[in-house]
Amino acid sequence: MARQPSFNPIRKWKNFHESYEQVIEGEYDLFMPQQGAGLTIEDMKETTRQFQALIADARKKGLKARAVGSAWSLSRAPTTTGWALNTNRLRGRLKVSAADVDPAFPGTADQKAGLYLFQCGNTVADVNKVLESKDQRRSLFTSGAANGQTIVGATSCGTHGSALDHKALHDHIVAIHLIATGDSHFWIERKSRPVMKAAWVKQLGATLKRDDDDLFNAAIVAFGSFGIIQAVVIETVPRYLLDTQPGQEKLDENLWKAIGALDFTAHPFFKEGRPYFFQAVINPATDEVLLSANYKRKDDDREPKYGLTQDPKAIGPGFDSLSTVGVILGAFKGLIPAFSALAAKQLFDTAKKTGTSGQIYGFKPPLLHVASGSIAVALPDARKALEILIQLYRDIGPVPLVLGCRYVQKSPALLAFNKFPTTLAISIDGVDSKSSRAFFAAAADRLEAAGIDYTQHWGKVNAYTRDRVLKAYDGNVAKWLKARRAVLPDDKDRAVFDNAYIEERGLAG
Amino acid sequence: MNRMMKTGACLLVVLTGGCMQYLVQPPAPSLAGSPQTVQAKSYLGSEVQQPPYVLAQRCQDGEQLARVLVKRDFLQGFVSWISLGLIAPATIVYTCANAGDPPLGNSSGGGGDE
Repeated sequence: MARQPSFNPIRKWKNFHESYEQVIEGEYDLFMPQQGAGLTIEDMKETTRQFQALIADARKKGLKARAVGSAWSLSRAPTTTGWALNTNRLRGRLKVSAADVDPAFPGTADQKAGLYLFQCGNTVADVNKVLESKDQRRSLFTSGAANGQTIVGATSCGTHGSALDHKALHDHIVAIHLIATGDSHFWIERKSRPVMKAAWVKQLGATLKRDDDDLFNAAIVAFGSFGIIQAVVIETVPRYLLDTQPGQEKLDENLWKAIGALDFTAHPFFKEGRPYFFQAVINPATDEVLLSANYKRKDDDREPKYGLTQDPKAIGPGFDSLSTVGVILGAFKGLIPAFSALAAKQLFDTAKKTGTSGQIYGFKPPLLHVASGSIAVALPDARKALEILIQLYRDIGPVPLVLGCRYVQKSPALLAFNKFPTTLAISIDGVDSKSSRAFFAAAADRLEAAGIDYTQHWGKVNAYTRDRVLKAYDGNVAKWLKARRAVLPDDKDRAVFDNAYIEERGLAG
Repeated sequence: MNRMMKTGACLLVVLTGGCMQYLVQPPAPSLAGSPQTVQAKSYLGSEVQQPPYVLAQRCQDGEQLARVLVKRDFLQGFVSWISLGLIAPATIVYTCANAGDPPLGNSSGGGGDE
């Protein structure tokens, strides 16, 4: 008999970075039915039954429930007041056989050969390890800076990366297995991009939903509100290497051309021209900018190795050092500029190296109590938005934060953070403190006052309200709500997955 | 600025006095489940402990440990200091590790063709 979920009656739940706490009614650990063996459809059906039993039980008891992966979000998106369902042991992975691909799949032969199914508990690190192995030699086309999030957690909250000519992490996904209620589960694909044969979906016992693109585009960035995503199918690209070229420059007019318009012709730092990945971290206290331009290189014969390395004699910040630092910097603002310069180098990996995407965007030294929020604007608004935030820093600062600039192409997801043709994602990163929180709150106000259209990162600290979500996404909000009702038609079923985070943003009920 | 630095340093000493924290983890951790917290006390210079050893009960079916954090806050440090180390409370937070990587299967293996 398959291992059944195990209950743990804890009442206090914290996110990974311990930036907040949540009172819950307990947690369930879920396990792969055949530990150590390859995933099968029968395993997926058994896990579906287990999730459905828990969802039905929660509904019967009037409790809420949500799947939790790595609990990586700095926002309260993944929280529940009921049962947290730990999914990070569900790490099954399948290569999609050509025989199982729908003949109407519109992708290229390479895309067809590069389809993989990952269960929800696989982290981005797991995905990279599978794809980039010598046997598979595939890669994600983009990745967030960290790799500890589960693939479903990261994509559900809109993690984006900064590959200049690519979309976000969630845009790898072409099929979703969603467990919605105690007696329904769906295999969701875009009408415009059918992937798996109906017969395969039938064997899984799921209801195939590919009548329209809106349902898929809603479910793909839904932060756990549509139910439990047990697995996703992703498209991948042939493996490539990245050569990182870090540097530090003053923010001058030539650098503004790169940061504000992705024009890499003017500044001598970009000797090789337009990079594959580009990131600029502005320290508003000093106008110093840490640059990271990563250029694509041909793959070699390597078997990638992953993991942190450390000089045993090295001295650096402790695991929970930022909680104390936040208090001290709150009391002594004069220390902030010096700290920010130091912190930028700690928070952003600026070492020169060559590796696969999974090696470059790999494991990071763990730190608690980081503060991070992101605001996205259209590229034509980039410089104006950044100047507004720098001015805000000068008005209320100094604040222990730096501004990381990343770029991503538009996603079809209805509530995509990357909704602009070319999106500048301004990552506001630093230490959790009173002044940092004041900065996050005021940033949205300032952009609104300037009439700049913007979105905020769902998985990071954000100042979204019902009105702001409506303003950011307009008609897409109604489509998203309609799609949610399509998979959760009964309000009692929707209530299971409601939480304060989506209620405050007008997305519940 | 100098005075500010000194005051900041004093505040740092007061805020962190008696506290400590050690995190142990492998280079590439694979976390299973959520972190579990255990309160522990060491008596008489660790001759007696409560519990005698910290059992990672949530690590099941071959799971090992992915992360162990041993920490002492100001109050725990104060108790240890005032009792000359005869009572040394600490908080242990452990997270289980996934028991290996499942192999990469094939959709046809458990699925099948039309």
